[in-house]
Parts: sequence; C-alpha cells; structure tokens
Amino acid sequence: MLTPSYIAQQFINALNMGSIYALVAIGLTMVYGILRLINFAHGDMMTVGAYLALAALTVLALPAWAALLIPMFVVGALGVLIERLAYRPLRGAPEVAMLITSLAISSLIENGATMTLTAQPKPVRLPAELTQRVDVLGLNFAVMDAAIVALAIALMAALTVFVRRTTIGIAMRACSENVRVTQLMGVDVNRVIAVAFAISAGLAAVAGVLWSGKFGIVDPFMGFVPGLKAFVAAVIGGIGNIPGAMLGGYLLGFAEVFFVAFMPPEVSGYRDAFVFVLLLVVLLVRPTGLLGAREVNRA
Amino acid sequence: MLSVQDLHVYYGRIHALKGVSLEVNAGEIVALIGSNGAGKTTTLATLSGLLRPREGRITFEGHDLAHLPAHQIVRLGVVHCPEGRQVFARLTVAENLRLAAAHRTDREGVTRDLARVHALFPILAERRSQYAGTLSGGEQQMLAIARALMSRPRLLLLDEPSLGLAPMVVETIFRVIEALRRDGVTILLVEQNAYRALQLADRAYVMETGYIKVSGPAHALADDPAVKAAYLGG
Repeated sequence: MLTPSYIAQQFINALNMGSIYALVAIGLTMVYGILRLINFAHGDMMTVGAYLALAALTVLALPAWAALLIPMFVVGALGVLIERLAYRPLRGAPEVAMLITSLAISSLIENGATMTLTAQPKPVRLPAELTQRVDVLGLNFAVMDAAIVALAIALMAALTVFVRRTTIGIAMRACSENVRVTQLMGVDVNRVIAVAFAISAGLAAVAGVLWSGKFGIVDPFMGFVPGLKAFVAAVIGGIGNIPGAMLGGYLLGFAEVFFVAFMPPEVSGYRDAFVFVLLLVVLLVRPTGLLGAREVNRA
Repeated sequence: MLSVQDLHVYYGRIHALKGVSLEVNAGEIVALIGSNGAGKTTTLATLSGLLRPREGRITFEGHDLAHLPAHQIVRLGVVHCPEGRQVFARLTVAENLRLAAAHRTDREGVTRDLARVHALFPILAERRSQYAGTLSGGEQQMLAIARALMSRPRLLLLDEPSLGLAPMVVETIFRVIEALRRDGVTILLVEQNAYRALQLADRAYVMETGYIKVSGPAHALADDPAVKAAYLGG
C-alpha cells in the first residue's frame, strides 16, 4: 500500500491542502493582528468566492483566469464593505461585540446562500486544461494541483513583499503592535484596516475558488470547516503573525493528509479531532504559537 | 499658535481634566509640570486627538483640533511624542522613521530631515536595520524623538522624554530639545524632572488634579516658594 507513488500522491495532496489553509489563515491572522477580531465570517468569503467563480464559468462562460480574478476582487471589495458597515461602528466596543457580529455575518451569508441558491451542492466542471494529468519527474498530478500550489506561493510571495516593503505594509505591521501610536505617525488607520480586509477577503476568495476546483463542488456551508481549520493553522503559527499563518497552514495540511493516508481506515475518520489535538499539543509547548511574539503592551 | 480653552475630558465617568486653559506661542518652550495623575499626559493626548474633549476649544493656527482625527492633526504639524517611548518594536529603526514621514509629500524635505535626525542621534544611523525592540531604553527614546521629527512638527508635544533614563542619556535628550528650539520648533514639554524643565522652558504651567494651578514665566515659578516646596523638593 505504501508505494512510492502513493506517498508522492499524498505529498501533493498535502501541499494542496496546506496551500489553501495558508491562504485562508493569512487573512484571519492579519485582521486579528490589527483589530483583535476572530473573524468567524472569514470562511464564508471562500464560499462567496467559489459561487462567483462557478457563475463566471457557467453563466458567463468566462475563461478560468477570469473565474479566479473576479472573485478575488469582488470579494475583496465585499470585505471592505463589511468592515465599513459592520465592524467600524463597533471600534472601541469590547472585542466580543465584533466577534458576535462576525458570527451574524457568517450566518447571514450561509442562510442567504441557502435561500437563494438552495443547500443543494452544485458541481463545478473545470476546464479540460486544468483536469488534464501530467507526469513530471515520475510524479503524476493534475494541472489543477500544480496551479493551486503555484498560485498560493506566488500570492504569498507578493504579500510578503507588500508587507515588508511598502509604506502601507509597514503601517499594517505598526497597527498590529499599537493602533493608537500608529495614528500619531499621521497614518490614517481606517485606510490601513480597509486594505487589510480587502487582502484578507480576496485571499480567502481565491482559496474558495481553489477548494471548489479541487473538490468539484460548491455549497453554502463549504467555507465553515476550512475556515475553522485555518483558524487552527493561524493559532499554531502564532496568531497575528503572517509568516506564522503560512507555516501553520502547511503544517496543518501535511498533518491532516498524512494522518488520513497512513493511519488505519477506522482511525482516519477522526481527522478533524486530530487537527484539534495537534493544536492543543502545540499550544501546550508554545502558548503563543510557533512564530508568535509575546503580547506587547497595548495601553 | 496653540490656544486651549476650558478643556474638560472624561475617562468614562472620571473627570480627568476640569477646565484646562493654556497658550503656546510660536518659538516657545512651554513646560507642563505637576505630580502623577495631575492630567499632563491626558492634556497632551487630547491635543493630539487620541482623546476627545467633552467641552472646550483647541485651536492651532485657526484650525479646530477638538474634532479632527489624530492623523490629520499630525498633518497640520502638531506631533505628539508619547510617554514611554512606544516605538514599534517589531519594525526596524529605519521603518519606524519612514512610517512617521509617510504622510509627507516633500521628498527632499524628508531626506533632509532624515540626515538631520541621524546627525542629532548618530546611533540611530548605525542601528537603522535593527528592530527597535532590540534598542536600549535610551536609544528607544532617541528613536521616539527622531520619529516625531520625521513628521515635521511645528508644535512638538513631548511627554516625559527623560523618564527612566540614565543621566548621560538625559543630557543628550535635553541638548536635543535645545537644538530643536534653535531650529524654530515650538515645544510643549511634559516632564517629571520639574527642575530641569523649568531651567529649559520659557513659561510653565503647574497642574494639579485636572486643573492648572499656577502659571507664569519659568524662572519665576522656579523661585516661587510654593512651587519649590511642592515640585522641586524644597
């Protein structure tokens, strides 16, 4: 059973899952870093992205690249809109108020999608050039598998450059240390927060498109479980820390896929439980996550 | 230049400022002294827009600051260097400085100011790619002042710049404040070292539990027996 090609296949799977978890976890960690908000509606940005991609492919008969870019930008704008309408008025309120608001937005999206589009999962038919299988260095995989990994890595590299080099990226890191003092630098914090939400939601939408492409299905609740797991990934990596979210995403992808692949079938059903046990173990050893800094004084 | 009239500020139900009025004229160094909890830091935080007054007026060169967001107050030239340094520990020295100048459009001016803060604090040039969190307390205070200067202040609100620093560093900081005065920066200085503050300042206000208790020329206050007894250790 444990043939080299089986292991290689699982490796590719793990890279795929890790890439998607990482993309989702980045957005959670960015928003948490600045607002201390655990955004429960984040996984639903995946769902909205996936439905938009499906509409682009079927209703509008657009090519695959458009089915990726449209959700990325539309959902990015949606993220900004949600922040403006739902979270900004609660700035300064206890953190739990925003958290509950995000739960409300999540249920609004999930139930809104159920009512208008039905809870029935919709199949996603990828263009043939993406389902085609190729052999590279003895590995056999679909073009889609490679596209997921390549796209995720390219986006993460771009984000890293953005956060390290641009002024707004520096302002974002400053905000995650201390929003009050960042204002004293002449930085319009509202603009920084809007950009963080745009990137956060846009990346989640891409992750949703990739997820629905990989599993061939879209439904109103598809974002819930990956959203939860991305949260675990963000905490494992050290919440608030962007490289940590990337690391946590891949770690989780590998742990989960290898657990299912190498454990006996009667145990592999516990994959989600295993993910949370992993979280507990990491937090026992490193309470701030793998790359997390200690909480700096925000007074 | 700055005129504050009858400022009332609350923290929840706590009445922290109970009618503070003060003036700062262009080119002056004005000291704000008083014991802990008198409301000095609260006053500065209200001027810079971090806190909102419930009553009172703040005008800076004809602009009403009481209703402006903090980042726009900075852009008018009122720059607040907060108590306790508050540098961004996970940004490098260079990034801290760059961030403070990011709202400016005069590129040559920014380059000139960077050269100036490096001349004032050569250690910051040496440590430019280090994380600010790795600096010593004194170096962090230098960075905090340098950062404020990168925002091109015309009125600098300086909160406790010498607090908790070694005597040598305190001397450096006070020398820099004098140099800033020569460059024409107006300064409102909150300082626990009342003796040094009164030596340096043109005028001073003494605060007590939310009020201005006494005000006047700094040398006159330094000689005032009541002020001496209360704040200068007799």
